[in-house]
Amino acid sequence: MKKVFQFVLACSALVLSFNTAAEPQAMQTLERMGVVAKQLNYDGIFSYQAGNKLQSIRIIHRADEQGEVERLISLNGVAREVIRTNDMVTCIYPEGKPVQENHRPLGRGFPTDFLRRLSSAEAYYQFSLGQKGRVASHHTQEIVATPIDNYRYGYSLWVDKDNDLLLQSDLLDSMGNVLETFSFSSVEMGQDIPEQSLKPEMQGNAMSWNRNEYGLSAVKVTQDQSSIWQVTWLPKGFNLVTQQNRFKARNGASIEQQVYSDGLSSVSIFFEKIRARHSHLHGGSKMGAANAFGTIMNAHFITVVGEVPARTVEKMGNSIRFNGAE
Amino acid sequence: MTVNQNELLSALVDGELQGKELDDVLQLLNTNEQARRQLQRYQHTSDLLHDHSVSHHHIDLTDRVSAALDDDAAFTTSSNNTAQIIAFPKHFWKQAVSLAVAASIGALAVVGVMTQPENQLIQPPQMASVEVETTPMVVAKTGKRWTVEEQEIEERLNSYLVDHNEYAGASGVFSYARVVSYDMGQ
Repeated sequence: MKKVFQFVLACSALVLSFNTAAEPQAMQTLERMGVVAKQLNYDGIFSYQAGNKLQSIRIIHRADEQGEVERLISLNGVAREVIRTNDMVTCIYPEGKPVQENHRPLGRGFPTDFLRRLSSAEAYYQFSLGQKGRVASHHTQEIVATPIDNYRYGYSLWVDKDNDLLLQSDLLDSMGNVLETFSFSSVEMGQDIPEQSLKPEMQGNAMSWNRNEYGLSAVKVTQDQSSIWQVTWLPKGFNLVTQQNRFKARNGASIEQQVYSDGLSSVSIFFEKIRARHSHLHGGSKMGAANAFGTIMNAHFITVVGEVPARTVEKMGNSIRFNGAE
Repeated sequence: MTVNQNELLSALVDGELQGKELDDVLQLLNTNEQARRQLQRYQHTSDLLHDHSVSHHHIDLTDRVSAALDDDAAFTTSSNNTAQIIAFPKHFWKQAVSLAVAASIGALAVVGVMTQPENQLIQPPQMASVEVETTPMVVAKTGKRWTVEEQEIEERLNSYLVDHNEYAGASGVFSYARVVSYDMGQ
């Protein structure tokens, strides 16, 4: 009996030592992945799959002393582009007759330092090394992030073994089902990216450019630490990471955005003052792995959006209280 | 009148009520004279703020309401004071309730409702069923479009999604993929 006990103890120690050895390695890989994502030039094609829908997207990313520029082009279905520079994102939607160009400044205050975010997330996910695999002809190592509760999703991240670029990202529900996948089918790394590759293809067309209400000068982002809104319930580990006001010039509406994150998963709450009679989401909605919950309170449209389970956005939305003057 | 009741009345004028809240406030208006007076006040204020010409209703209240707004004490709980300001026909309350609910459908409906004969007015129980702004909660069905019925809501959610995506994703590599792959037209 004593020998059996010693055997079990030895096995347990072996398992423990394996876990404690694997976890730091997983963290180190993720840390390098965060750095590489911002510093590496790459040009590739990846697919985005959510449910039975599949979209192919080309991504061109350049990083230099002036910062980052990234261009995404949809390759099937409606032609659409997103160009992100350091502090601006431009979405080009040729849905109707004219092309719609949608400029908006990126928010500030969010910790872009992935390493810092990762350290915040460490308490709410178990990071471990998974399988070895192959993505887009590159050898990869899987990193599994398993959440501590069912208010957030898990991740399976496949990282290039040679240069640590993230090549595949799977979002997993509590049952391990894949909710959505981003996966490179081909990618080249480290080459020079010419300026021309980062220009929108539709720019040379004779089509008219119709700027919508989020015109370049129409949007202003301000930091405002005070809010008349209070979110009284958050999942463990979620903290307010940024809060900002966006003004839409056309109707003068002010939209407050609060972003809560545990380091990996993020949820935004939008408070938009009602300036006219419009429809608004009442209850929940879903798009891919993103869930939204909408309600109306004190003449504001309130919308909670994030890549978290529906129960999370709903519970957060229902916990919002108005603290302003009547 | 409680604070909550006042909020409900204000929300009714703004066309923001639906479901049980709408039923509750209609019930309140049926049974509470003070609530009806408060609704009248909110409706007047809303009309002024939105430049709805009162003359279209064949009742010129502009001067009186402006004066009343200058002197808030005129809108006390005293029924005498209210009676001195405006003397409405008995069917006004049905019209007022109809007007408030119609406001959620569109400002153009306002004048039309007010000029309808009494027997053509929409009755409260019918109005309660007109929940044109409600988008029912849809059970999760994975796809590349929001599970909503109205384009206006969809566009707002897309706009929010773009703003949110700068904070989404595990590493930032695929952050805007959802935006660029959004299945708008299919």
